[in-house]
Amino acid sequence: MTNCVIGLFHDPQSALVAAGELKSAGFETPELMSPVPIEGVEEVLGKKKSIIKNFTFFGGLIGGISGFTLAAVTAIIYPHPVGGRPIITIPPYLIITYELTILFGILFTVLGFIISSRLPAIRDRIYVPEAAVDKFAVAVTCENSEHRSRADAILNGAGAEQVRDMREED
Amino acid sequence: MSLFSRFMDGWRKYRKPGYYDEFDYHWTMTVDLDSCTGCEACMTACQAENNIPLVGEEELAKGREIQWIRIERYWEGEYPNAKLNFLPMMCQHCDAAPCETVCPVSATYHNQDGLNTQIYNRCVGTRSCAVYCPYEVRYFNYYNHHWDSPLDQQLNPDVSIRGKGVMEKCTFCIQRIREAKDLAKDDGRRRVRDGEVQPACVQSCPTKALIFGDRKDTESQVYQSMNNPRAYKVLDELNTDSSVVYLKKVDA
Amino acid sequence: MEAENKKLGYTDIHEDVVRSIVVTGPKYYAALATSGGLALLCFFFPWFYQLYYGIGAAGMNHPGVWGTYLASFIFWIGLSHSGTLLSCVLHLTNSSWRKAMYRSAEAMTLFSLVVAATYVFVHVGRPWFAHWTFPYPNQWELWPNFRSPLLFDVMAIATYLTGSTIFIYMGSIPDFAAVRDRTVGWRNTMYSLLSLGWRGTDTEWHRLHWAYTFLAVLIIPLAVSVHSIVSWDFAMSIVPGLHQTIFAPYFVVGAIYSGTAGIVTVMFVLRKYMGFEQYITKLHFDNLGKLLLVLSLLWTYINAIELFTGWYSGTSDEYEQLSFKLFGFYAPLYWEMIVFCAAAPLLMISKRFRTSFVPMLVLSIAINIGMYTERFLIVATSLPRQYLPDAWGFYSPSLVEVSIMVGSFAVFTTLFLVFVKIFPSVSMYEVKETMDTPKLKAAISQAGSPA
Repeated sequence: MTNCVIGLFHDPQSALVAAGELKSAGFETPELMSPVPIEGVEEVLGKKKSIIKNFTFFGGLIGGISGFTLAAVTAIIYPHPVGGRPIITIPPYLIITYELTILFGILFTVLGFIISSRLPAIRDRIYVPEAAVDKFAVAVTCENSEHRSRADAILNGAGAEQVRDMREED
Repeated sequence: MSLFSRFMDGWRKYRKPGYYDEFDYHWTMTVDLDSCTGCEACMTACQAENNIPLVGEEELAKGREIQWIRIERYWEGEYPNAKLNFLPMMCQHCDAAPCETVCPVSATYHNQDGLNTQIYNRCVGTRSCAVYCPYEVRYFNYYNHHWDSPLDQQLNPDVSIRGKGVMEKCTFCIQRIREAKDLAKDDGRRRVRDGEVQPACVQSCPTKALIFGDRKDTESQVYQSMNNPRAYKVLDELNTDSSVVYLKKVDA
Repeated sequence: MEAENKKLGYTDIHEDVVRSIVVTGPKYYAALATSGGLALLCFFFPWFYQLYYGIGAAGMNHPGVWGTYLASFIFWIGLSHSGTLLSCVLHLTNSSWRKAMYRSAEAMTLFSLVVAATYVFVHVGRPWFAHWTFPYPNQWELWPNFRSPLLFDVMAIATYLTGSTIFIYMGSIPDFAAVRDRTVGWRNTMYSLLSLGWRGTDTEWHRLHWAYTFLAVLIIPLAVSVHSIVSWDFAMSIVPGLHQTIFAPYFVVGAIYSGTAGIVTVMFVLRKYMGFEQYITKLHFDNLGKLLLVLSLLWTYINAIELFTGWYSGTSDEYEQLSFKLFGFYAPLYWEMIVFCAAAPLLMISKRFRTSFVPMLVLSIAINIGMYTERFLIVATSLPRQYLPDAWGFYSPSLVEVSIMVGSFAVFTTLFLVFVKIFPSVSMYEVKETMDTPKLKAAISQAGSPA
C-alpha cells in the first residue's frame, strides 16, 4: 500500500509550481488532476511520449489494404460482369479503400487511446471528486512519514488549500 | 506455371473490360421502323408471355404502368400534315449498360449470352437502375399484383411472378432462349439455329418488323438486317453499345 | 446586463450543466411526449403501412422512381455535415468560440445520420433484405457490388456514423466523469461505465488531446468524402440534369450550408430552453452568421455555374431539364429556393442582423426549407424529363411521403431531447478552459522557468 499525499489548489498555476517543486525535490513524478487540461505541464514535468500516432498510422495502413482487398477479392470470388467494366475496376475500389482507411484509422486511434491512457480503470485508483469541478489536485506518492512531511511542507508552501492523505489500493 | 505468371494471367483476366473473352451467343434484335404500324400486338404478347401484371386504371393514371416493351409515339407537324412515328422501346441489353453498375446488391449483370439479366430474388428495390437507364425501360412493382379469375389461368409457368419491391424489364424472353438451348443440346450439342427462338414480341408482330437472332451467326437474318444502311441505335451518343438496332423509317 | 458581465466561475458552469441533465421539469416531459407521439404517428405508422402494401403508398411512378425519400435522405445527411466537420475544423484551428456549442452540434450530426439511415429502410423496395448491401460472408458467396455508387454510400455512411459516435463519445468522457460524481442510482452506474474511470490526470488529458486531434484530422476528409459520395448516386448516372462533375462540390457546400443553419436553430433552442444563455452568446451567432454568409455566396455561385453550363451546353436534353426546372410545373419551388438560400442570407451582411437571435432563427429555418426544396427539385425535375420525350412523366409526393418527412423531424427531435438528458449538452471542460486562458498564459511563463 503506497501512501499518497494530495494537495488541492485553487488555480492551475500554483498547482504547477507545487508539482515542479516536488519533482525537483526528488519525489516520484506527481500526478496532476484537474477539471481542464492544464497548459504548461510538459515544461514542468517533462515531455510525454504518445504512441497514439503509431496506432493511427497502422490502422490507416491496415484499413487501406483491407479495403482494396475486400473489394477486389470479393469481386473475384463471384465474377459479376457489369456495365462492360472489368471485374477489378480501380476508381470505385479506391473509394472503398479510402473509406476503410479512415474507418480503421479511427478505430485504431480509439484502441491506442484506451491502451495508452490505461482506461477503463478496472481497479480503484486515487480520485479526488473536487478535481472534476473546480480544484486542481497534485498527488504524490511517499515512502515514509519523513517524505510525507516534506511533501506536506512543499504543498503548503505553494499555497495548497487542503492537504489530504490517501491510501492507494494496489 | 510460376506464381508470377499465374498472377499476371489472373490480372489480365480480371482487368479485361466486360470480362468475357467472347460471348456464347450475342442476342440482338432489329426493329424495322418502316414496317412498324404501332398495332401494339408485341405489347400484348409480351404481357401474356411474361406474366406482366395489369396494374389497373388507378395505378395507370398515376403513371405506374409496367410495359416491358412500349410503343413510343412521336407526332410531327400539324393537321392536316401530321405524321406519326412509332418507336418500339424495350430493354436494349446494352453491352456497356449504365444500369448494371449501380445495383448495390448485384441483382443485374451481363451474362455470357450478351443479355442484361435481372435477378428478381436478389433485388432489394433501390430503383437506382431505373434512374440510370437512359431508355427508361426498367419497371418497378409498386404493389403485389393479383390476377382476377380467369386471367390467372393464363399465366406462364416458365416465368416467375414478381412480388412487390422488385424491378423487372424485358429479358428477350430468356425462358424461350433457355428452352431452345436445351432442345439444341438434347439434339446433340449443336448450336441454336437461326429462327428457332423468337421472343413473344417477335413472334406476334404482324408485319415482321421485329427480327431476333444471334449476331455472331453471320448467316442469320438479324445479321443481314443489322448491316442495312438504314440501321442506327437509339441514344447511340451515350455509348451504351446496345443490342437493339433500329432501321430508320423512309419517308416516301 | 449584470448577469452577462459577472465573471463565471467553474462551479457555475458545472452546476448549470449538471442541472440541465439531472433536473427535469414537466415542460421537458411534455416536449418529449409530443415529439415521440408525432414520430410514432407521422413516421412509423405510415412506414408500416408502406411496408405492408408496397412502395405504391408513396407517390413514385414510372419515370419518377425516386422521390422525397431520397431527397429527405440527402437532406438529413447534409444536415449531419456541419456539426462534426465544423467541430473538427475549429478544433484544429484552435478557435475558442466553438467550445460552448460543439457538443450539441456533434449530437445533431449523429442523430441526423441515424434518421438518414432509417430513411434508407423507408426508401428501399424490400427493406427486409437491406442487409444484403453489407459485405458479410454467406452461403451463396455473394458479396455486394463494390462498383456501385450506392454501395460507396453504404460504406461512407457506416464509417461516418461510427466516426461521429466515437468522436462525440471521446470528447464527452471528462464530462461524464464530472456528472458521475453528482448523480445517484442507475444514472451513476451509467456514467461510471461511460466515463471509463476518468480521473483527470495530466497523462489522461494528454492522451485524450492527441486521440481527439487525430480523430479530427481523420474525420475532416471523411466528411467531405461522404457527401461527395452521396452526390455520386446522382452524378454517376447519365440522366441529363444530374450527370455533372460539379455535383460533388455542390453537395458538400450545400451540406455544410444546411448543417450550419441547423446548428443555428439548435443553438437557439438550447439557449432558450436549457438555460445556457451565458454560454451560447451573441459571439457564437455572429460567427455562425459569417460562416453562413460565406457558404451562401458559395452556394449561389455554384448554382449560377450550373445554370450557365446548362445553357451554354446547347444540347436539347440539358436545356430541356433547365427550362423545366426554371419555368415548368415546379418553378415556384425553384424560385422560392433561390429567395431563401441565395437572396435572404445576404441580410447577414449586417452585424446587427447576425447578432439578433430570433431573426437568425427564422433565417436558419428558411435556409433549411430552401435546401430541402433544392434536394426535392433535383429528384423531381430531373427524373421525369430524361432523353426520350415519350417517356416523360410527372412526379408529385403523396400523403404518406409528406407525413414520413414531417415524422423524420419528430424522430430527430425525440432523439435530441433524449440526448440533452444523458449527455452534457455543453462541454463543461472546454468552457471552463476558456475562462482562465489569459491569466494561465502569464502563469505558464512563471511556472515554466527552471524549477
